[in-house]
Amino acid sequence: MKARILVVDDDEALAEMIGIVLRNDGFDPVFCADGGQALEVFRSSKPDLVLLDLMLPGSDGIEVCRQIRGESDVPIVMLTAKADTSDVVRGLESGADDYVPKPFKPAELVARVRARLRPGDQKAPETLRIADVTIDVAGHLVTRGGERISLTPLEFDLLVALARKPWQVFTRELLLEQVWGYRHAADTRLVNVHVQRLRSKIERDPEAPEVVLTVRGVGYKAGA
Amino acid sequence: MPEHTDARALNLPWILERTRIWTRRALILALRVSRLVVTGLRHIRPGIRYLWRALLRRWRRSLEFRTVAVTIVLSMVSFAVVGAYLSNQIANNLFQERLKQAESESRYYVKQVQDTFDGSQANDQSSVITLVYDTLKAVEGNGSVIQRRYVFEAMPEQTKPRNRWVESRASDQLTVRVIPPALRKAVQESGKDQYWASTEFPVGNQDHPGIAVGNKVTFNGTVYELYLLYDLDTAQQTLDEIQNVLWAGGAALILMIGGIAWYVTRNVVSPVSHAAVVSEKLAAGQLQERMVVKGEDEVARLGASFNHMAASLQEQITQLATLSQMQQRFVSDVSHELRTPLTTVRMAAEVLFDARDDFDPINKRSAELLYNQVERFQSLLSDLLEISRFDAGAAVLDAEPTDIFQVVAHVIDGASPVAAEYGSDVRLTSRHKRIIVEMDARRIDRILRNLLLNAVEHGEGKPVHVSVAANHDAVAISVRDFGIGMTAAETARVFDRFWRADPARARTTGGSGLGLSIAAEDTKLHNGWLQAWGRKGSGSNFRLTLPLKKGGTIVKSPLQLEPADIHLPGAAPERHMLVLEAGDPPPERGSAVETGPADDPSLPPALPAAPDNDVDDHQGGTAP
Repeated sequence: MKARILVVDDDEALAEMIGIVLRNDGFDPVFCADGGQALEVFRSSKPDLVLLDLMLPGSDGIEVCRQIRGESDVPIVMLTAKADTSDVVRGLESGADDYVPKPFKPAELVARVRARLRPGDQKAPETLRIADVTIDVAGHLVTRGGERISLTPLEFDLLVALARKPWQVFTRELLLEQVWGYRHAADTRLVNVHVQRLRSKIERDPEAPEVVLTVRGVGYKAGA
Repeated sequence: MPEHTDARALNLPWILERTRIWTRRALILALRVSRLVVTGLRHIRPGIRYLWRALLRRWRRSLEFRTVAVTIVLSMVSFAVVGAYLSNQIANNLFQERLKQAESESRYYVKQVQDTFDGSQANDQSSVITLVYDTLKAVEGNGSVIQRRYVFEAMPEQTKPRNRWVESRASDQLTVRVIPPALRKAVQESGKDQYWASTEFPVGNQDHPGIAVGNKVTFNGTVYELYLLYDLDTAQQTLDEIQNVLWAGGAALILMIGGIAWYVTRNVVSPVSHAAVVSEKLAAGQLQERMVVKGEDEVARLGASFNHMAASLQEQITQLATLSQMQQRFVSDVSHELRTPLTTVRMAAEVLFDARDDFDPINKRSAELLYNQVERFQSLLSDLLEISRFDAGAAVLDAEPTDIFQVVAHVIDGASPVAAEYGSDVRLTSRHKRIIVEMDARRIDRILRNLLLNAVEHGEGKPVHVSVAANHDAVAISVRDFGIGMTAAETARVFDRFWRADPARARTTGGSGLGLSIAAEDTKLHNGWLQAWGRKGSGSNFRLTLPLKKGGTIVKSPLQLEPADIHLPGAAPERHMLVLEAGDPPPERGSAVETGPADDPSLPPALPAAPDNDVDDHQGGTAP
């Protein structure tokens, strides 16, 4: 079955070009040129992934991202012409999983899309624990004291990666490779922002984390 | 010294006496106080030291404190001078008055005694003794209090007349010893003159200061010395009281002067310190801060002109900020507007490029050219945007503690395909395992990647050495190649925008010509140093030095800029060094010199000191 991808971009030429590339690689693209209608199109097309331009007429890309994230865990990859820290971080904080800076190569775009669409590979029944958080890997379920914590697939993958090797300190590069599927250099801010978001959901006090610990100068590790 | 009563007598001896007493008292007091201070110091030395430091700090920092302290000390000194003069003057007057009285009284009583003696008919022992005693008793005065004491003594060394029944006689238990020998000598040697001297004699169990007035009287052919002693104790008490009042008044006056000085200084200084606080706030960026202006005096004028200055400063800064913001917006907009179509073009070019095998040769080549040039255009554009972001001041340091070896390893890893292509071997040497630096890893990665790729490209297939070292406040990474190297002129321009060592070569190796400029800007953002050294034929060395802590300063780079592996033949070497400063210039130059011949044992000492000129030339040319 072809994965359906919603492309939200006001630049028609670019949208069309992205469509050509995606179709060429076996995806089923759906388009939306107006941020104001993005949510409607999203609801009606039920895509497997959203490619979202940060600067959109009608509605800010970041706002659209927040709306979609408000009702779905579907992966969101942002297209951004602004490589400036604040914009990228703002986009990631509003719920995007990854971003592709313009100008990008077709292969780069496809690689990002595929990485986020990685089929929920048949995971063996496995239960992991970090601190007082229980992770049911096969059931895609995270609970603390019987109470369910809702995570996006990316946040879930990040948590599982850390929980599987509680003795290991993960550098940001290693996490980029294991969770995001980057093979080469990438923006370590992705890790920082998503760790913050993950903490805000699973930590009792995000200021004093117990589940995801920072190892100064190296990276992150799972709490005891 | 005894004085002739008719001469204008000086009271010097009395004063000396008093000075001696006071000195003795002061000495005892000082001794006690110093002993107390010494014992006290031993126990509370840290406290004293703290207090002293606090006072010193106060002295340095507070104009008010300083003024009040100086005023108090100066008025104390002037009061001490005036007080000493006044008390001296009063003492002198008191003494002179008493002396005059003593002299006239003495003259009167001595005459009376002499008259009584002369007219006496007594010729047996008991009547003579009675007469003498009664006469002398009369001298003491007829109150219950002795008004004047006497000492009556037969002059020595005279033939003893037959009927000399009285040898000596004195009031109370006085003896002739209370009379200063000098006075006795003067009296004995003179004719009929009257002399006086200051002395001290016991009254009860106390020594009282006094005046002794000496005369000669004759009785029955025997010459006697007759001294009348006048007690100055009451005068002394009066003087003491006056002095006490004087000192108390002085202390009160000094306190008041201190208070007044404090009040006046406060009035003058408080606007100044207010101005200091306001200007500190202004400097810290609170541009809306203003001084309070009251009245029309100098302080008000200061405030008004200060406010005027602040207003124009604020206006200019706001204007500059607006301009900078506009440029940032412009850059950002251009960036977005250019990148979107460029992305489309690039994707299209790649699609065509991927399908080029299906095209005829002309279209195929066109697709290839299109693809390659779009790539080049894109890297040029992104470098340009990066530079303009620096120029607009829009670049922000996103520093975080990171292990420098992570970044270095990553850069070496990334450059390995290119290095393999050129046949270069990249070697990393360091004595350290882990150096945590507060840095923007993305920017440092970009700097090092640029340096390493440059070294590989110009290294002619020879090895490239990457060294990492740290000291207590800085970390240095140097990238050394052994390739074609650079001349002085080239080294001096290496960080210039769009500058290429070899324009013909540059076209093939690619790059925008902005790489090292961006690296220099990135370094500047970190408050670090980026320096280059090169010699034609011996390769070049680029050294990046970063402070370990964000915002820290570098004193000395842990690595040498000029490589120690250079072995010079006898001929005059062609050595070139460039220092691009991004931190403080003075230590910069120092470090350049420090890496020069003097410190390098492998270099002969007689080398011309060329580097300094290069430094100057270059700093004139490119340092912003």
